[in-house]
This record gives sequence, C-alpha cells and structure tokens, in this order.
Amino acid sequence: MNSRRFDMLAAGMLVVLLLAALHMISAAVQRSEDLGQWFMPLLLFSVIGLLLLFALVGWNLWQLLRDYRRRVAGSRLSARLSVMFLVLALMPVSVVYFYSIRFLSSGIDSWFDLQVDSAMEDALDLSKLSLDLHKRERLKLTENLLAAIEDTSQTAIALNINELRKTAGAVEMALFNVQGKVLALSHNNAEILLPTPPDSGMVQQVVGGQNYVGVASGTDGRLLVRCLALDRQERGIVLQAMYPVPESLSDLSQNVQNAYETYRTRAYMRSQIKFTFALSLSLVLLLGLFAAAWGAVFTARRLVQPISDIAEATRAVAEGDYDKQLPPPRVEDELGFLVSSFNAMTRRIARARNALEDSRRELLTQHNYLETVLAGLSSGVMALDSDGRIQTANRAADQIFGLSVSELESQPLQVLSERNEALKPFVDRISESLRRVMGEGRAEITLYRGTGRQVLLCRHAPLDIDAGETAGHVLVFDDITELVKAQRDAAWGEVARRLAHEIKNPLTPIQLSAERLRHKYLGKLPADDSKVLDRATHTIVQQVEAMKAMVNDFSDYAKPTRLQVEPVQVDALLSEVLGLYEGGSQHVTTRLESPGLMIEADPVRLRQVFHNLIKNALEASGASGRVVVSSCVGEEEGNGFVEIAVSDNGPGFDPDLLGQVFEPYVTSKTKGTGLGLAIVKRIVAEHGGLVHAQNPPEGGGRIVVRLPAMSGRREFDVDQDAVGGVAGHAR
Amino acid sequence: MQLFARTIAILTLLAVSTGLLADGVSFDRIALTLGDDDYILLDADIEFTLNDTVDEALRNGVPLTFETHVQMRRVKAWIWERDVVERRLRTVLQYRPLSGLYELRNLQGDEHISFATRDAALGTLGRIVGMPVVERKTLDLDAEYLVRINVRLDIEALPLPMRPLAYIKGDWKIASEPWEWRLRP
Repeated sequence: MNSRRFDMLAAGMLVVLLLAALHMISAAVQRSEDLGQWFMPLLLFSVIGLLLLFALVGWNLWQLLRDYRRRVAGSRLSARLSVMFLVLALMPVSVVYFYSIRFLSSGIDSWFDLQVDSAMEDALDLSKLSLDLHKRERLKLTENLLAAIEDTSQTAIALNINELRKTAGAVEMALFNVQGKVLALSHNNAEILLPTPPDSGMVQQVVGGQNYVGVASGTDGRLLVRCLALDRQERGIVLQAMYPVPESLSDLSQNVQNAYETYRTRAYMRSQIKFTFALSLSLVLLLGLFAAAWGAVFTARRLVQPISDIAEATRAVAEGDYDKQLPPPRVEDELGFLVSSFNAMTRRIARARNALEDSRRELLTQHNYLETVLAGLSSGVMALDSDGRIQTANRAADQIFGLSVSELESQPLQVLSERNEALKPFVDRISESLRRVMGEGRAEITLYRGTGRQVLLCRHAPLDIDAGETAGHVLVFDDITELVKAQRDAAWGEVARRLAHEIKNPLTPIQLSAERLRHKYLGKLPADDSKVLDRATHTIVQQVEAMKAMVNDFSDYAKPTRLQVEPVQVDALLSEVLGLYEGGSQHVTTRLESPGLMIEADPVRLRQVFHNLIKNALEASGASGRVVVSSCVGEEEGNGFVEIAVSDNGPGFDPDLLGQVFEPYVTSKTKGTGLGLAIVKRIVAEHGGLVHAQNPPEGGGRIVVRLPAMSGRREFDVDQDAVGGVAGHAR
Repeated sequence: MQLFARTIAILTLLAVSTGLLADGVSFDRIALTLGDDDYILLDADIEFTLNDTVDEALRNGVPLTFETHVQMRRVKAWIWERDVVERRLRTVLQYRPLSGLYELRNLQGDEHISFATRDAALGTLGRIVGMPVVERKTLDLDAEYLVRINVRLDIEALPLPMRPLAYIKGDWKIASEPWEWRLRP
C-alpha cells in the first residue's frame, strides 16, 4: 500500500470515527440521563481525534509547502487548487458556524426571561402558601394534641402515642426529651423502629420556644408536614408528628417544585449550556474544516498528479530520456487522453531515436570499416574538400609523407609543402591537376627527399554527392619507389642472366683451346716463343677463370632462389663463419650476445651473407684493419629479432652513395663484381629481414642486418629509408 | 472502654485536626475499629468547605454528588490482584426550594434526610459512624494492608452542560488528598 492510499484510509477512518463520536456527543447532550456518562470520554476522544486530523492536515500542508519551495513539478498548481478548494469550503462553513452560534446563543437566551422567572417564583410562592395553610393547621393540631395529654409521666405519654397518632392521622409520631433522646415512636409502618431524626437546628428552635413546622419528603416521594412542638407543661418533652399532605396538593406542589428546580438550574447553567453547545458546534466545525483542508490538499494532488507526471516526464524527455512512460490512466477523461497521447508520443520519439541511433551506429560501423580498410591500405588516401582543404588521410599517407597528415585536417593542401619542402612538387602537381582535370586524373611524381628519391603514383577522383555537385576530391597515391627499384633489379637480373649465359658458353672452349695450344706447342717452340706462349696462355686461362667467376656472380645474383629454411642458431653460424677468418693478417673481433637465439633461415644463403659482409669489411679496412662482428637481441612491437652488425675501421661509406650501396655495381673498389652487397640485401629481404648501412660517429662503416626471431616472426619489409633511400656507398 | 480495648488489637489511627485539606475536603478524624461482629468499622469526621461557585450552584438547585472511596489492598499485592475492599459511598446534597431545606440522599440505600441549614447537611454528610469495611476473618493475619480513603465531589454527576467547564475550572475540584495508612490485622 503506498503512503498516499494509507493517508487516505487513515484520514477517512479518522473522519468517520470523529463523526460517530460527535453524533454520540449530540445524543449524550440530548439524553444525558442515559448517555451522559459518555459525554466527557467522547469529548476527549473527539479532541484527540481532531488533534490527529490537524496533525495529518499539517503534515500534508507542510509537504505541499516543501514541494512548492523546491519547485517540484505540479506543486504550484496543487497549492493554488488547495487554497481555492479550502477557501470555497471555508466560506460557507464559517458563515454557517457564525450564524449557528448566534442563533444558539439567542435561542438559549430566549428560554429565560423575566416573565418566566416571575411566573416560576409566583408558582412556587403559591405552592408555599397552600402548604403554609396546611402546615399551620397541622402545627395547631400537634400543639393541641400535646396540650391535651394530661399524663405527667413520660412513660405514660409514650404508651399513648400510638393512639394519638391514629387520632391525628399522622404517618409518624415520636416523643423526644429536650436532649433529643427518643422516648416513644409510633409509625404506620410497624417495621420502622427509628423516627425521622430532626436536625439540630430544628431542635434548637423548638427548645428555644418556637415550635417548628416544615415540609419534608416521605419515602414514597409524597410530601409530609413535619411538626415539632414543645410541651408547655414543662414535662421536658418534644412531640414530632409527620402528617401526610393531601395527595393532590402534594402532587401539584411537587410538580411546581420540580419545574422550578429545573428552570432555576437551567437558568443558572445558561452560560454552561451555551459553552457546551458552542463547544460541540466548534468540534463539528473543526472536523469539517480539517476534513475540508485535507480533502482539498488530497483532491488537488490527485487532480494535479497526472499533470505533474506529464511535466516531470516532459522534463525527462527534454533531457533526452525518450523511454519515459507514464502509468496508464485509470479514468478515460481528458487527462487520461493526455497521458495516453504523451506515452504514444514518447514511444514514437523513442522509435525514431532508436532508428537514428541504428543509422548512426551503422554509419559509424561503415566509417570504422572504411577507416580500417584505409588504414590497412599500403596506398596513401587523402580526401580534400571543394576548397582543397584536407579532410582526412590514412596512416599510409602519414608514412609516405613522413608526417602526420591527419593532424592537418581542414588545412589547405599547401600546408604539406610548408611542413616539408620536399613535398612541394607533389603539392604543385596535384593542385595543378585538380584545377585542370575535372574528372579523374593520374600522375607519377618523383620527390627528392632527404632519404633519397621517392616515386609516387597518384590518382585523384572527384567526390560526387549529387549529380553535378562535387564535395571535393579523393587522392590515392602509392610509393612505387621500391617497385621501380625492383623492376630495375629484375632488369639487371635478366641482363646478368643473359650475359652469364652468353659469356659463359664461349669461355670454356676459349680456356680449353688456350690450354691445348699451350700443351701442344709449348715444348715445340723456341725458348723465346715458348715463354711468350706460356705467358699468353697463362693470361688467357687466368682471365677466363676471372671471367668465369664474374659470370658466376652474375648468375648467382640473377638466379631465382629457393630457400631451404630450417632453424638456425645465429651465434653458432656466425662463429662457424668467423672461424674461417682466424689466423689472417687482419683482426676480426666478435661480440655475440644472442646465445641460443634461433631463426628460420637457409644456412647456406645466410652463410653467404655473412661471408660477403665480413669480406667487404676486411677489404674496406685494409691490411691493418679491424673488423667487429656483433649480434644482439631486440624486440619491437612485441616481435623479437636479432641484429647482426659488421663494423670496420675503414674510411666508411661515401655519404652521397649511402643509400645506393646495396644496388648492383655501386662500388668504389678496384676489384670485385659490385654485386656483393646487392646479393646480401636480396638474401636478407628473402628472409624477411632488413639491412642498412651507416657511418657511425666513431668512424668507419657499419652494416646492420636485422632478422626476425623464430617466435613472433614477421615478414619485415626492407627498410626503404635505410636500404633504398640512403645515399650510395662507394668504397 | 471495653470496646476500645478490643479495637486496639487491630489498629486505630486518629486523624489530627490539622488533617489533610485539599480543596474543600479535610479529614478531622478517621478511625478503624473492630466491631462486635468482627467487622472492621470506619468512623470519620470529614469537613466540607464549599466555595462560592459550588455554593451558588447548590442554591440554584444543582445536585452535588459526593463520593467517599474506601480501598484496601495488600501492600505486596501484584498489580493485577483485586482490591480486598473497594467501596464507594455516594451521597447527593440538594437544595429543595419548596421546603427551603437541604436534602441528603444516600444513593446506596435511597434514604434521604432533610436539613434546615446547609451546614447541618454538610455536617451529617461528613459524619461516618461504624461503616463496615471488611470482616476481619477474611483478611490474612500475616499480611500488611494499605487502606486508602478519599472524598471528592463527582463532576461526572453534575448536569451535563456543566461538566466541561467543571473539568477546566479549579472551583469544582473539591477533593481530599488520599488518606493512607498501613494496617496489620
């Protein structure tokens, strides 16, 4: 049960009980003989009940005031309605109360006036006069009876008293001495043994010499005349006689006395009667007033509740809570219709909001999908608005340009060239193309970056929203530097393969022919000629061998490889290779710090890499050179790798050629094919590693090879900046 | 003297004349005696003093009901234990305009006595002679009893319109302080 319903029941029961109590008070006032004993308890109950009702009303009014001050929805309307209802109820009740009190007061006053007072007094006096006559007769009779007694002895008198009583027609006759002691008694009821005692005042009056006569009530309610007479013969006795008053006179006198008593009592209680009636009326008024006040507050709240709910719900909807639903109306009135309409409205809004949310989520999903796709693209993608301002760019664009393009959002494309001068050709060319070409465009742009030459293949297309309206352009560009380089390498490989094929074929016959000439004619010719032949054929054979070696190098470089991959322990392989260089004139130092690290590699091809690198370092450092071979373990983005560095103390790489040292035939040495480092790069790339050359600050040159470790191996791209972008290496 | 000698066997308490006076009722003398029939009897002289308000009401015919409440219970009685004696003596004093007498009416026995003066009526009203309280043999001789007597004007017996104001106004609070004493039979 909620508190409001409890309030209603409590107040209702209290009002009903109070009404019953007031009704019983009214009954008690009217029938005070029967119900008079309940008057005060009922009055007390009513007062306590009214206090409780007052407390309940006060509590409700306080709540209303509190809500009003807190500006709770609907509280102001409730307060206004409550005050209005209260005033409407109070006015007629107050008028009725005011005039009721006046009518009551004047009505009660009208019961009593001087004429009635006088009439009542006269009636009483008349009764008294009637009785006085009767009293005087009886007193005279009593005195005569006493005087007629001739006996002097008290005992003798006592013996005759019964006869005297019967003679006089008295109900009771008693003889006392002057001290009040009973000497004799005669009563018409033989069971009564004691006389009706005269009070001390009566006795004193009689002893004082004045006989007493008065009226008293008998046991049966009838009036009696009491006569007390002192004996004049100085016998020291007092005779008391009780005579019945004639029935008609007794009844009439009793009636007059009762009416007079009632009237006098009422007249005396006039103010108390007014007070009691006013009190009862006030209780009724207070009950009506409190009940009306409580009813006003309750009704106002009940009426305003749906409106408050709607106001509260409207506020909630305004704050974005579109799921707000009001409890369904109990009564199908205008407020119920309003509530139903509100619920229908919020349902529709919620549905629209949900649809919008779904669309937004779908859009977000698509956006994320597009972002993911764009982020996963190796091609750089950039969107420009119709004014040429950068709208969005993917991660590949950042990587290709070497700066965070996404941070340049809403800035013109030219900001790229401001950030990096090397990007100016790209900006100029694209801007020109966008101005000139209305539809899709394509361009190949070469940039000269600090890391080397960079070739970009760019395409752009307009972003169409509606027919004829363009929202901007989308630029897609690929860094095709490596592709171009790979094409060039492939071309070189093809050339080498053809050269090897074309050259190697005649070399063997040449060598064999030279050896045959030598064998056939060396002994037959004169000494001088033999010497010439010997030197010539020796030169031919030697040069042919050299050419064969060169052709084999070409062949190796050009030959498509098939790796025989197996787990290889890097440090062990390095130690094995370095073992071949022990005892040489040059000093080779090792610093292997990746013990036990395994990689997946072709040991033959990897051995060739290490040979080429060590040989290259030894040749660069000269006869007294020093070469340091080191290995270490590292981790990048959760992937482990091993890094092998071969350093020498030679002159280092030519800074201008640092980026081209791994290209074929880029060499500064007087001998060799110029393919050693190109083969190194190729084999490393085939193993998913990368290689780069550098000139360390302490001098000399260094080539670093990074190969993925077995666990968490990944396909490394060849570091474009390090391999392809660095200036060539000339030794 | 013989009677006195017997009654001393129980206990007799004589109230001093400076007895309790609380708003119009005072005890001049109270005595419990053991009667010939082994009943414990109450004798008391009670003085009533009516103030002007009550006197005016009496003269205007308002009947005044006085109640003498006699209560006896064991000193160590449990709260739910009934009183050994619980008697209420109710007497109405009323002025009769026709006879000009003051009438005392005993509500228990329907007896009535008329008096020429108010003081005579009040004197008789305040005189209790040999009122049987309890038979001695019904009491536990080893127990101690508490006897309490108080006298008051019964407001509830006033005419109904007078009651609310009588409860509020102090003039109508005519009552004695409870007179208590301990009794070992």
